[in-house]
Amino acid sequence: MREYLLYIKACGGSIPQVQTYVTPSFSVDRSFWQEREGCVLHVIGKTSSLALAFSLRAKVNGYLMERVGTGRMLTDGYVKELRALAVSSVCEASNLYGREAASVQDRREQRWFSWESIEESVEVSYLGNKELGKLPGARLDYLGGHELLRRSSSRVNIQEAVLREILDGRALLWDEVESLLKKRGVDVNDLSAILHALVLANKAEWRPGIRFAVIKGWWRNRLELVCERCGSAGEKVEFTYCHTCEQGCAYCTACLGMGRSKCCTPYFLMDVGESLIRSADHLQNVARLEWAGKYSADQSRAAERARCFVANPRPGLSEFLIWAVCGAGKTELLFPSVTEALAAGGRVLIATPRKDVVLELAPRIKRVFPGAKVIAVHGSSSEKWEESDITIATTHQVMRFHRRFLLVVLDEADAFPYHNDPILYRALSRAVKKSGKLLYLSATPPGYLQKRLVRKGRSTLGSSGAIPLFSDTHVLLPGRYHGAALPVPKILAVQDLHKRVQTNRIVAPFIEAVSSSLNEGRQVFVFVPRVDEIDRVLSYLQKWLPAHAGEMAGVHAADHMREEKVLAFREKRYTVMVTTTILERGVTIPKSDVVVVGAEAPVFDEASLVQIAGRVGRSVDDTSGSVLFLQAERATSPKRAVRQILQMNSLAQRLVEQRGLS
Amino acid sequence: MISGMCVRCGGRIAALQKESVVREKARQLSDQASYPVIYRMLKGIVLCGVCLDALPLIGHDICRQCGRDRELQASIGNEGLCRDCFHGEDDQILVANRSLLRYEKGEKDLLGLFKYRGDERLALYYGTLLAITVQRYYRSMGFTWITMVPLHPQRLRERGFNQVDLLAGHLGAAIKIPVKPLLLRTKDTPKLSKQKGRAARHESMREAFVWDGQDVPVPSAAKILLLDDIYTTGSTLRSCAKTIREHLGPSCEVYSLTIYR
Repeated sequence: MREYLLYIKACGGSIPQVQTYVTPSFSVDRSFWQEREGCVLHVIGKTSSLALAFSLRAKVNGYLMERVGTGRMLTDGYVKELRALAVSSVCEASNLYGREAASVQDRREQRWFSWESIEESVEVSYLGNKELGKLPGARLDYLGGHELLRRSSSRVNIQEAVLREILDGRALLWDEVESLLKKRGVDVNDLSAILHALVLANKAEWRPGIRFAVIKGWWRNRLELVCERCGSAGEKVEFTYCHTCEQGCAYCTACLGMGRSKCCTPYFLMDVGESLIRSADHLQNVARLEWAGKYSADQSRAAERARCFVANPRPGLSEFLIWAVCGAGKTELLFPSVTEALAAGGRVLIATPRKDVVLELAPRIKRVFPGAKVIAVHGSSSEKWEESDITIATTHQVMRFHRRFLLVVLDEADAFPYHNDPILYRALSRAVKKSGKLLYLSATPPGYLQKRLVRKGRSTLGSSGAIPLFSDTHVLLPGRYHGAALPVPKILAVQDLHKRVQTNRIVAPFIEAVSSSLNEGRQVFVFVPRVDEIDRVLSYLQKWLPAHAGEMAGVHAADHMREEKVLAFREKRYTVMVTTTILERGVTIPKSDVVVVGAEAPVFDEASLVQIAGRVGRSVDDTSGSVLFLQAERATSPKRAVRQILQMNSLAQRLVEQRGLS
Repeated sequence: MISGMCVRCGGRIAALQKESVVREKARQLSDQASYPVIYRMLKGIVLCGVCLDALPLIGHDICRQCGRDRELQASIGNEGLCRDCFHGEDDQILVANRSLLRYEKGEKDLLGLFKYRGDERLALYYGTLLAITVQRYYRSMGFTWITMVPLHPQRLRERGFNQVDLLAGHLGAAIKIPVKPLLLRTKDTPKLSKQKGRAARHESMREAFVWDGQDVPVPSAAKILLLDDIYTTGSTLRSCAKTIREHLGPSCEVYSLTIYR
């Protein structure tokens, strides 16, 4: 069981300075202060709950600010007062915790938190800094740390340097730190002491997995628990009793899949050190771009704008949106920006919502940047803990980084896990270095991103409508890479649409659209709003188009044949695929048409419908196709989707005209 | 726990849709007398209708020793026993075992979430399942105590929680039988599922437990319900039962109850 000591450091001098600290090993602190300044350390007490120690630290610090800040000296009597304050705070926290956790577990006779008050004051005299100038961290070779460690493992500061190398720019729970070190073959005997020395030297930060604070209320006080890793609070944090710290200990259920973040687990945040600076040759090699493709005029314009944003050292400018319609070739647009960041000696993160996109993207990026080390990071990936120049990660893995990347790219910013999820946005902005840049890629940016990043007022096209083509924080790419216009959906209202389908009465436009597409040898996506409608629509189609009945299939998210079915659809063994919104993005099938049955349903919002319409006409061979929105009643989102597509088309048109003129 | 969310699919629980499934399953699991109790428990379970319907319940033809579903076994032993129990040593250490579910792929993930990830919210769900199992097989048995397979103290400290402990708490509250931790694990065995073969598992489990119920009065003929999450070969449960019987005398009967078989 790890125990944490709370102590107050008071040093004399003309202005009395007092500060409270939490430490897992007091001896480290003592020798640390010996090297720096003479002071008195008043020990308050110890506990095994890190969250409790931190909340007490905040409390005592606040108290000291109030009193000692105004000139009062820290006398023995005052320290005694503070000890009493700590005891009463523990008591209060214990009671409040018990009230919340009573429904979970009954511990009426025992206390939820234990606290051992210690009355001890240690006078530390200044011994001078023997180690000054010997810290090898700055000069340590990029990967040679292990060698150094093996040669002189007794030297604590070398262990420290190696740990810094490994934990550089990561945010990890204690268990993850241990497993990472084990994987790297580094054996450290007193890990917590060394990590704590780093914390004291202000090179790292540690926090409890779940932080808690007593919130004063007018009616009654309550305990506020917040997960330090994902930032969730309230219902997401579950109260329980923990056998590790033998105290009341809450854990976070929102990020449980990444390991248990709880009150007694330390959570380490390590800033990126200066050891990353590498030689110019090396950088040139890493940033080498080998790509034979060519941009269209619009693409090169957008790519250049994004590159300028990354290269721009202006501090306030940290977010940028590339708004490119479906099929504009978004991935290629990134290459100049990534090159720029790599050449500046930074690391790059590309975050995408889904694992299959990670797996598809990684080899592509690897081919284009042969000199850089590219890793794919997802839940079951084996290279999760490796060092790299370019990291391609799924959303949740981003949570394990702390100010590590110079450039973070978020692909499909409007897709499911990111959309409206403060946890993931928080994780992303934490993964960016202090001076780093965040780049969003989207075909249908959500309203809040548009509001924040699409600045009105500057447009080369003058009266080009509501959306400006570019600003300091965004660039808009309204046309596809092959230059043809986006297919415009046709909206048709059919009375009693769902009833007709249910009772097998004919819906002429639906059947005609599907059959004419099939007769032309095209494939058809049929989107429905709910999973239980898949079978209904499928059997309906099979009844009305018996000639093609064998080539139809339905797929939904929980379908265990999902991959096989989608593959069969790609290989044209199926010609009609009835599906929900799961296939709205990512799947590209040349020569296909789309029908949405029930476009008025709330799951089909504007973005979703634009994405669905974007499935059609993506390849160069077949740039047109038909998109049909069938709705049972009037709805706004299909109309808005059509309006957005029309707007994009007219913008693209004007761009072409303008280029023709100049 | 956010009420109204299914623990398996995370979807909303539609009460109307669930109702018919609950009735059907309650009929399947109960006779006339226990129907109301089981119906109520199933209704309160945090599963949606679809997931409840998909639960791999063990059927009616079971091995009377270990509670395994005999329908799925290729070769069936005699006298109402399954092959393993028929060939295994019949030493009456464990009177019988009963479980509710078959251990299938999807179930494995959910149990892993509970056992290794530590999603303690699932304790309520599994506790209800166990209570249903008791109603189904062990009704009016009059158990003296519920006890559970302990975790090694070292392992407990690492993990921070004992999943069977939590289950016992919920089950004890549901069927109103006192929960008593009677055992202590002395051997920290590696994960059983990592060990290959029945004999190896049996060997590693030998003398892994000692008696720990010092202040417990010894009744003359106790009936003890031993709890675990899964019965694979039964070596863990048998080893526990042996320790209990050594201490409480041969007149004591030990029954076991697991979620999965």
